[in-house]
Amino acid sequence: MAAPLELSCWGGGWGLPSVHSESLVVMAYAKFSGAPLKVNVIDNTWRGSRGDVPVLATEDNIVSQPAKILNFLRKQKYNADYELSAKQGADTLAYIALLEEKLLPAVLHTFWVESDNYFTVTKPWFASRMPFPLSLILPGRMSKGALNRILLTRGEPPLYHLREVEAQIYRDAKECLNLLSNRLGTSQFFFGDTPCTLDAYVFGFLAPLYKVRFPKVQLQEHLKQLSNLCRFCDDILNSYFRLSLGVDG
Amino acid sequence: MSLVAEAFVSQIAATEPWPENATLYQQLKGEQILLSDNAASLAVQAFLQMCNLPIKVVCRANAEYMSPSGKVPFIHVGNQVVSELGPIVQFVKAKGHSLSDRLDEVQKAEMKAYMELVNNMLLTAELYLQWCDEATVGEITHARYGSPYPWPLNHILAYQKQWEVKRKMKAIGWGKKTLDQVLEDVDQCCQALSQRLGTQPYFFNKQPTELDALVFGHLYTILTTQLTNDELSEKVKNYSNLLAFCRRIEQHYFEDHGRGRLS
Repeated sequence: MAAPLELSCWGGGWGLPSVHSESLVVMAYAKFSGAPLKVNVIDNTWRGSRGDVPVLATEDNIVSQPAKILNFLRKQKYNADYELSAKQGADTLAYIALLEEKLLPAVLHTFWVESDNYFTVTKPWFASRMPFPLSLILPGRMSKGALNRILLTRGEPPLYHLREVEAQIYRDAKECLNLLSNRLGTSQFFFGDTPCTLDAYVFGFLAPLYKVRFPKVQLQEHLKQLSNLCRFCDDILNSYFRLSLGVDG
Repeated sequence: MSLVAEAFVSQIAATEPWPENATLYQQLKGEQILLSDNAASLAVQAFLQMCNLPIKVVCRANAEYMSPSGKVPFIHVGNQVVSELGPIVQFVKAKGHSLSDRLDEVQKAEMKAYMELVNNMLLTAELYLQWCDEATVGEITHARYGSPYPWPLNHILAYQKQWEVKRKMKAIGWGKKTLDQVLEDVDQCCQALSQRLGTQPYFFNKQPTELDALVFGHLYTILTTQLTNDELSEKVKNYSNLLAFCRRIEQHYFEDHGRGRLS
């Protein structure tokens, strides 16, 4: 493709190209499908926008949200699902729904709501990549957004209380991880030998959970016991992201 | 329910057999119930029929408020009250009836994934259509939701519910979607379900599972509910194996058992 595709996303750390799940999904998909993306990491200058990240900019279009970006890349003939059967395509949609409903609330909680994790790890990391005074406001807003999402989708009216929801979401997340591990089994990727959209999504959600060092780690501990999922993440990091590591520590 | 309460309920549930007078509560059928709630209620009824467990359907205007989680339908069995399909499946399993025990681990994972797909896309699309599409809200939803209550309570409750649903849509990123995009999502979901079903009678070949009950509940309700336009049911009608699937379950589990036609 002649037109350059520029992706703005959050940067990496702890051995990952990005610590933000959605950005990581897009980056992984681009590597799998061979799309030439120029990655612009968001830093603390005023350049670029921070809302709605990741954002793909081409000559005439701006596309946000991972699902839409992946659709756009497919239309540009960068299709990682080329060899999938119709049923496997349907399975992909179903498993992505499973990730979003069962795993995402707990991941959001671990990163943005659990106070120890948020104040010692997440907030300083994101704040250091935003210019002042945005660094004072935006992390708080992202945290509130995450809490809101958890309560509105899992909380039960009229109480909307976090305590009751916490136990349930972690239980669901652990069950989801077990299901993924069962489904992956001993294969290298979810559908055969080449990675596709589902692998990108699973990698995007699991890798930050696996690698980022948190004080409160119950979900991470559970993930580390599922060795095939850890192997899956490490394989993708080593095969597709080796060259871009060593830039961010 | 907290973890302790759930373990306790499972224990109690396991000791008693299914009683004859189990009841399912939903909103009033003719005037009040909405598309999404009707779908959920039908899914539970289908599931219980598939397990061969008798259930009586009772319609109450305040069913939503009686429910322990605020969602309909809920079942009253013995001295326990359980709401929503997920917990009901668990509860029935504790009593020794299960439709998915014969599945292996990978199939169970698939089943759960497809159930989430239906919840994620179909149910959310139904909620969007009911509460965020101005035409439907004005003509159908507001009037139906508040119908058992006197003025001004009917308006207040309807607006409150609409505000709640819109907040949720915004939180999950559906706030900015247009109706066409939502209908496209419904189409994608139906396509996935159709491809997964293929030519089999049920999703896991010969015997139905809770996934079949859930899909039937939603698709049948979409096909038979009168809305401001037919776009939603047209999306489902594009897939003939899904239509055959609904017809098959309706015939087998609702007509054969002498319950009469579903209205």
